[in-house]
Amino acid sequence: MASTSRGDGLALPKVQCPNHPDAMLVEDYRAGDMICPECGLVVGDRVIDVGSEWRTFTNEKATKDPSRVGDAQNPLLNGGDLTTMISKGTGAASFDEFGNSKYQNRRTMSSSDRAMLNAFKEITTMADRINLPRNIIDRTNNLFKQVYEQKSLKGRANDAIASACLYIACRQEGVPRTFKEICAVSRISKKEIGRCFKLILKALETSVDLITTGDFMSRFCSNLGLPKQVQMAATYIARKAVEQDLVPGRSPISVAAAAIYMASQASAEKKTQKEIGDIAGVADVTIRQSYRLIYPRAADLFPPDFKFDTPVDKLPQL
Amino acid sequence: MEQNNSLPPFQGLASPQGAMTPGMPIFSPMMPYGSGLTPQPVTNTNSLSLLEEQQRQQQQQASSQQAGVPGGLGQTPQLYHSQTVTTTTLPGNTPLYTATPLTPMTPITPATPASESSGIVPQLQNIVSTVNLGCKLDLKTIALRARNAEYNPKRFAAVIMRIREPRTTALIFSSGKMVCTGAKSEEQSRLAARKYARVVQKLGFPAKFLDFKIQNMVGSCDVKFPIRLEGLVLTHQQFSSRPNFFPYFSSYEPELFPGLIYRMIKPRIVLLIFVSGKVVLTGAKVRGEIYEAFENIYPILKGFRKTT
Repeated sequence: MASTSRGDGLALPKVQCPNHPDAMLVEDYRAGDMICPECGLVVGDRVIDVGSEWRTFTNEKATKDPSRVGDAQNPLLNGGDLTTMISKGTGAASFDEFGNSKYQNRRTMSSSDRAMLNAFKEITTMADRINLPRNIIDRTNNLFKQVYEQKSLKGRANDAIASACLYIACRQEGVPRTFKEICAVSRISKKEIGRCFKLILKALETSVDLITTGDFMSRFCSNLGLPKQVQMAATYIARKAVEQDLVPGRSPISVAAAAIYMASQASAEKKTQKEIGDIAGVADVTIRQSYRLIYPRAADLFPPDFKFDTPVDKLPQL
Repeated sequence: MEQNNSLPPFQGLASPQGAMTPGMPIFSPMMPYGSGLTPQPVTNTNSLSLLEEQQRQQQQQASSQQAGVPGGLGQTPQLYHSQTVTTTTLPGNTPLYTATPLTPMTPITPATPASESSGIVPQLQNIVSTVNLGCKLDLKTIALRARNAEYNPKRFAAVIMRIREPRTTALIFSSGKMVCTGAKSEEQSRLAARKYARVVQKLGFPAKFLDFKIQNMVGSCDVKFPIRLEGLVLTHQQFSSRPNFFPYFSSYEPELFPGLIYRMIKPRIVLLIFVSGKVVLTGAKVRGEIYEAFENIYPILKGFRKTT
């Protein structure tokens, strides 16, 4: 046999080409072989195909799915149980005299993880509402599992922990969502999510990067329907404003909103403060405050190649 | 007195003559009341006679020596004879805070080089203390008969009493325990607690004054330069993986709170650091912890000064 195994008995035996142990083996599914691409040696033969037995199309009125494999296993999250359960009977013999089914034990599938499964469902629901991709959902699930197993935040509502995990996952993936956006899809208050967020960071001993103004530009601008030019201008304005420290102590969200306001007012697509405030989740007085801080230096803040629909001196002054 | 000049804001007391010294700063860092290292003798009386005694003694022996005051003003808190005085000043007082070796002084920390002294002294803003009056109380009687007392049992199960001098608020519970907040110094807090106890006593309860303990002290100060919070949180964030000088958790979430929350381990103090340069320190049980924490954070803040 060409398969070699590593020295320790704990590791799974890895198939490697004996001449090229570093080469990534290519799988030839038709013949069931694993072939070394360097020398062409067939390393593992008669490899069992783990794909599905046959394809089922949903058009066909197949009342019973003949597939003999179950759902995709999620071993990372569910403790990887390979338990089986007895399904409902089909024949006449499975019903007793009253019409109840004889074998009724369908509950308590995974009692300890029931709360976790519920939380996963909740996470998926929340993430769907704001169209988050699968990788963020997976990361959130992982975080939740870690927190849940640690039990240090056991007293907190699972929904709060789930929302906070979602927030952290978005931050970690580099696409942060504001607390208010997470609040909008969750039933938990911003204060509680913030508290759980800090507790989770402490429990998992991780940290997240600081938010910057640029993280939100593309989302806010496209929600407002602003063209790419305006979005780029707003990003530039916000970055310059922070670099020149015109807005010390202001939340990056407010600065971003003010920059979008300035850029949109200078272009053909003018948006009101109220509209921007609705999208960004900041009050329009906040936008006004930050706008007043960046207004004096408006001329330097715009990118050099920006086409002004309204010149800088005609920008509204609040 | 160069000492006084460099401790500007800490004169809580009226100087009677406006003479060379701007009043007697009782709790300057030169006289660390309970710095945590050596237990200070606390006189249990509020009698003014004792105060006069002490001051007269000091005046006699203060032969205008500025002995023992080292260059680094904020740096070497030397133990002076602690003045357990209350808010009043006596006319004609000379700076009691020249070094008068009334009691053997033990310098707590060796004199550090002047370049590291910050020269800024955090001021105490609030002291929370608890005391046990030692007897069960009838809150309704207290609320009805005492002045400046409010009692709303549906909202909160304690009487809220306020006095004007020192301006404090007390929560008095039916078990006889009392919480006193709002005082600006330890002695004021003790005095206020005694005043409340006296009020309760006058209403007919056998009040005692057991286990007076200061639970929390809040101080604030200004470093006078703007601070780059983002830089500070980047370098002081990780728990244990990056062994910084102060390996602890600092948290800066502009969405949640505009200040940076810095949890110092030793001493165990929480600092709120703002962009403007203002710093709030809380969680201390003794005054020295606040000073120590500020001395610890000051060089770090200097490193993150905004240069524009």
